[in-house]
Amino acid sequence: MNTLELLNDLTSYLAERNLRVENGSNHSLGNSGIVNVYPKTEEGISLVLKYATDHKLTISIMGRGTKRGFGGLNETSDILLSLEDYKGVVEHTVGDMTLTVKAGTTFQEIQDYLDDTNQRIALDPFNPFEATIGGILGANDSGPKRFKYGSSRDSVIGLRILYPDGSVIRTGGKVVKNVAGYDMNKLFIGSMGTLGVISEVTFKLRPLAKYESLVLLSFPEGNMDNIKLCAKKVLDSVLEPVCMELLSPSLSDRLFHRNDYILAVSFEDVESSVHYQIKLLKDIMPANTVCNILSKEDAQVFWEKFYQITPASTSSGNNAETIAALKIGVVNFDVLKVIKKADLLQDVNNIKIEAHGGLGHGLCQLIITGAKEDILSAIEKIRKIVLGLEGYVIVKHLPFTIRKDINVWGEKPPHFFLLEGIKSKIDPNRILNPSRFVGGI
Amino acid sequence: MKVKIKSNDGHIQKLAEIVGGTRSILYNKEDLIAYDCDGFTLHNHLPKAVVFPNDTNEVAQIVKYCSENKLPFLARGAGTGLSGGAIPINGEVIISLVRMKRLISVDFENRRAVVEPGFVNLKLTNAISDKGYYYAPDPSSQYCCTIGGNVAENAGGAHCLKYGVTTNHILGLEVVLPNGDIIEIGKNGILDEPGYDLLGLLTGSEGTLGIVTKITVRILKNPEGKQTVLAYFDKVEEGSRAVSEIISSGIVPAALEMMDKVAIEGVEAAAFPVGHPKDIEAVLLIEVDGIAAGIDEQINQILEVCRKCHVRKVRAAKDEHEREQWWANRKTGFGAMGAISPDYLVQDGVIPRSTLPEVLERIKQISEESGLRIANIFHAGDGNLHPLVLFDARKQGEIEKALEAGSACLKVCADVGGTITGEHGVGIEKREEMRFVFNDEEIIAQTNIREVFNPHNLLNAGKLFPTPGRCVEIKKEIKDALLKS
Repeated sequence: MNTLELLNDLTSYLAERNLRVENGSNHSLGNSGIVNVYPKTEEGISLVLKYATDHKLTISIMGRGTKRGFGGLNETSDILLSLEDYKGVVEHTVGDMTLTVKAGTTFQEIQDYLDDTNQRIALDPFNPFEATIGGILGANDSGPKRFKYGSSRDSVIGLRILYPDGSVIRTGGKVVKNVAGYDMNKLFIGSMGTLGVISEVTFKLRPLAKYESLVLLSFPEGNMDNIKLCAKKVLDSVLEPVCMELLSPSLSDRLFHRNDYILAVSFEDVESSVHYQIKLLKDIMPANTVCNILSKEDAQVFWEKFYQITPASTSSGNNAETIAALKIGVVNFDVLKVIKKADLLQDVNNIKIEAHGGLGHGLCQLIITGAKEDILSAIEKIRKIVLGLEGYVIVKHLPFTIRKDINVWGEKPPHFFLLEGIKSKIDPNRILNPSRFVGGI
Repeated sequence: MKVKIKSNDGHIQKLAEIVGGTRSILYNKEDLIAYDCDGFTLHNHLPKAVVFPNDTNEVAQIVKYCSENKLPFLARGAGTGLSGGAIPINGEVIISLVRMKRLISVDFENRRAVVEPGFVNLKLTNAISDKGYYYAPDPSSQYCCTIGGNVAENAGGAHCLKYGVTTNHILGLEVVLPNGDIIEIGKNGILDEPGYDLLGLLTGSEGTLGIVTKITVRILKNPEGKQTVLAYFDKVEEGSRAVSEIISSGIVPAALEMMDKVAIEGVEAAAFPVGHPKDIEAVLLIEVDGIAAGIDEQINQILEVCRKCHVRKVRAAKDEHEREQWWANRKTGFGAMGAISPDYLVQDGVIPRSTLPEVLERIKQISEESGLRIANIFHAGDGNLHPLVLFDARKQGEIEKALEAGSACLKVCADVGGTITGEHGVGIEKREEMRFVFNDEEIIAQTNIREVFNPHNLLNAGKLFPTPGRCVEIKKEIKDALLKS
């Protein structure tokens, strides 16, 4: 059988089992499939995997496609396995504050479900209305509040993973503390779907904050030393902000109509504590700083807008302009250098860069809009600077044709052989998300 | 360097040369006896030798030598582990990391510190407390256990309910792999390094994947205020309900601990009695910390919840001295069992919080059936239960009975949806109990990962996983053959 015959065979095989199957088509972000499959059950996913393993077919794994532009050197695999129909809450034990959901559930759907119980998953990923929980874990997405609450690796307590042969492997469990065996949960978070398909995720939950406020400190003079001094004072004080995120002037302009560097300091606690902390923060902030306080609902409106800034599958840009997004990791206070450099590069490269980074956790995001060549040259310049700071740059969104011209993940680490070894053990035929990850894994 | 060694064993001679002299190696039987077990004392085995390297390079050379000469080896810190992870069951060369105990650097600005593996947990907090910082993971043995050992076991502690366990505080590791290669992961402590999360995988791998020689940890700012509440309950069910209600009321306590009647008898007979009544079924210790302005509100809410749950007596500590006394009483709880029993076995299961009354009832039955008393010390907030099986090793058959009772307690934990260890690890103690929570395929999935790092299984072999049954081996052979084809 040639590939086409195989896929016809697959289509009839799956259709018989009531699985939605469509002919695939190429997408400007790549990571497509010749056939698209939409299982509704774990058994359905398992069937697809088993078929692919038996016939050595490759698979692109997708939720709702918000991260389709993230990595991947193959325009199309044989099968696009979409989990968007595989959704819902499996188990929510309110008293134990644990929740198990299917991987295709969007972050917002989960949050809406939990609202009634005043509980939440302590994550703040981008594009929450579209991003599925499986995709958020696979790409290890996180937002500014990671400073206080950590990331997926800190909230996930158990997974059901489908291995490439379709078998189910459970990792972790349903309790919040667990050291039985290797901490295999960690292996799959951030693995870009190259090791297995996440089927179910169990989280430990946190209570919803009783009160929250967001303080936006604007620095009209743009003096990085002043910003640094202010941030250091906050960190060295008794304050317990949930985030301390520096926004570049272009991003501040988009979100708050102020063309200044803004330090976004957020507090979540009982009301008396939040007010007390804002008062302390005002005492700490340097002169010439403009302070805007957004209380509960206003803060939520700001954040909702903020989490939409990252390009998703629909934002591959128009003909003239390309959009790219970078994730950058540096030592915490080097964030200042990265954001400043991003701002300066705009004029040099004739591009727009909207940037933000956490002074408490060292992760930055840059969203670059402009012509293809200008973007590629800017990425190279930024990478050179960040490597000088001993950090890394990952290109987390770029159209497929341009992505081929750049190393999405940067150079292989010296311990690459271990990553390669893990991949070979779990997916020896390399059928899952081929070439999507570090070093071509 | 040629070293004079009174041993005919060529390997001992070579190892002595690597570590630079007779003061850095033990090989006589009388010296080795101290290393024949760790905090899990029911199994003993003599090591081939104990070497004390001074730096990463020496560790790498020892490992390389052992690997090339097919000598089994393992790493050991302070030897406080409770599941036997550092017991040389194959006559290993023990690589003791106690001389690698430097605090290499502290970077307050970026909230991190770099330590060598032999650095003692509590010393880190002591070294940075004058600047208002601390290291969060606080296992009860923190005054003597090493951070390297904490990484191996993914150690927890009373305060991990709010702040997480060791894995949540590790930013970077330097590791000597079983072939002697040195790698660095989580370079400079920068988060989310591209690639699979090896930091997360290595933390808690019980020294079976590599030997950690340098650790970058997160440090935290001391909370502005903290307060502890003590509550006595006549019924375990009511104490247990209070635990659930405190947490679901939206408070995240820094610690939430419970002791049952037998445990109370122990701590009150030991070195730090505080006057807990002997006729109550449960005592709760609840600590909240954070911004001082918000603490009173939370304490009042906790007092209210306890009263609603028919508490006999509840109150907040009147001063720091009293708070510390309450915690000293609780933190020395394991050792306190020595005051009421010649021997005791510490168990370490985890259960969904809400199942506590049911689980305690079943543990009571196990106690009655075995004829051994069982005390329960419970990190109630995160469901981590420590049944302490009291026995007398001098009595014929009691060790076996205690082990059986301990295992039965873990089965109960697994049956209610929990797990067999929350912070002490599997080691050799709970290898077979791994089957309570994982099936054969899931265990193979884990040993497959071990093979990537430790292909010849010379590093800490025989730990963490059950001996595979014959059927499992056959299944694996078939699977491997299929994969190759």
